[in-house]
Amino acid sequence: MAAEVPALIYYIPLIIFMIMGAIIPIASLALVKIIAPLRPGRRKISIYEGGLSPIRDARVQYSVQYYLFAIVFVIFDVEVLFLYPWIYVYASKFMESFLVFGSMNIAVFEMLLFIIVLLIGLVYAIKKEALHWV
Amino acid sequence: MAGYGEILSSIIDYMYSFISQYPALYALILGIVGALILSAIVNVGAMAVVWLERKVLGDIGARFGPNRVGGRWGIIQLGADAIKLFTKEDSIPEGADRQVYVWAPIVASMATMLVAAAIPFGALYIEGQEYPLVVANMDISAFYVEAALSLLAIGAFMAGYSSNNKYSMLGAFRGIARMISYEVPMGICVIAVAIMAQSLNLVEIVQSQTLWYAFAQPLGFIIFTIAIITDLGRIPFDQSEAEEEIIAGYTTEYGGIRWGLLYFQEYDMMLLGSILMVLLFLGGWSGPIIPLPLLSVVTPLIWFVIKIIIVLVFLIWVRGSLLRFRIDQVTDLGWKWMLPLSIVNLAWAVLVGPYLLAYFA
Repeated sequence: MAAEVPALIYYIPLIIFMIMGAIIPIASLALVKIIAPLRPGRRKISIYEGGLSPIRDARVQYSVQYYLFAIVFVIFDVEVLFLYPWIYVYASKFMESFLVFGSMNIAVFEMLLFIIVLLIGLVYAIKKEALHWV
Repeated sequence: MAGYGEILSSIIDYMYSFISQYPALYALILGIVGALILSAIVNVGAMAVVWLERKVLGDIGARFGPNRVGGRWGIIQLGADAIKLFTKEDSIPEGADRQVYVWAPIVASMATMLVAAAIPFGALYIEGQEYPLVVANMDISAFYVEAALSLLAIGAFMAGYSSNNKYSMLGAFRGIARMISYEVPMGICVIAVAIMAQSLNLVEIVQSQTLWYAFAQPLGFIIFTIAIITDLGRIPFDQSEAEEEIIAGYTTEYGGIRWGLLYFQEYDMMLLGSILMVLLFLGGWSGPIIPLPLLSVVTPLIWFVIKIIIVLVFLIWVRGSLLRFRIDQVTDLGWKWMLPLSIVNLAWAVLVGPYLLAYFA
């Protein structure tokens, strides 16, 4: 016996949880404002850089190699996103039909083909040293 | 003594009639009550994890761990730490991006609560039926939890970027590189589990584990364990806050309660991550039911807590015995080994899984 609830109902608690997640740090910061001492000074807010005064801006330009990681990540993350609907639509049917010998679901092999094509891309990226940290 | 079960069943019947009459009101009450209870459980749990970690690390290093402040096993140390954090002066470093700097711990905290919303925290066993304790029992909760887990990296990057410190910046870059290298294998492991369970709902995944998925797909279990340690940013994968190289990584310029909040989120996530591991691979709350009245109701909870503590101690043990990898080794491991191996595991789940599960069903 299970209660019949509209599926979207479960997204209301998520909003409340997000608000609660914001309240906890804000409340503790407010508490600190009340009870903690406040004696600001120039030395206290200076940036730590091994004991010396900081040289130039901290927001440095990073190697372009770093962005290649990000691009490869986007490709494979989208692959993972495509796999999720695939589970939902095909995998359950496949599990039933697989046990009956000889009747296989074509969608599984299409998806394996898709993964193999992406793996070739991964091998290419590795050979080109796109995934080499510098 | 059968009275307990009948009373509990009648309460549940009443709840179900209430739910079908006023679903929106039910969701609102569930959200508010759940948020209050779970924020208490998660935060107290994280404090317990901090204490457990310090004690176990002490034992591994042949030290005592916290024992000076008082209480049995130095348990009052936690209170002393909290008082210290709350009474420290709050200062924002010069040249920091103030908006982002202030929002970083809040984003991290929101991520924690969003993960906690969809994770089942055990189950109750009443009159031969299991009632999972979960706030948002969504159809896609495994996918949702994975997405919300990666939000923590956003909070860490915000903290590192806004601090106007070169060490923080390096920590933030490393954190994101590490996160994206292991997000993909972790996602594919969750997919392999979902294929065996034929569901993305965490409750259904637990209920379908007649054979624990740690045994049904050992390779996936190993990959997921490594990926979750990486996602949590613990030794051997804590390059974003490696204290010997980049001071304290992305938290270098944070102090007082703001640092405390960021630090605490990490332990919240450690607790939630080990719960996720138990749910996906170690059978969740499944276990033999103790045939005693009243005690049988909470048996699933007892099994669940025991498994979580074992996973937590394992994570601390790993921290106590391994050395930190270099960041290039970490990304290499992620892209060149974990990703192909996770696809091997997916193929295993698709091709061998049905026979395995049919054999053990």
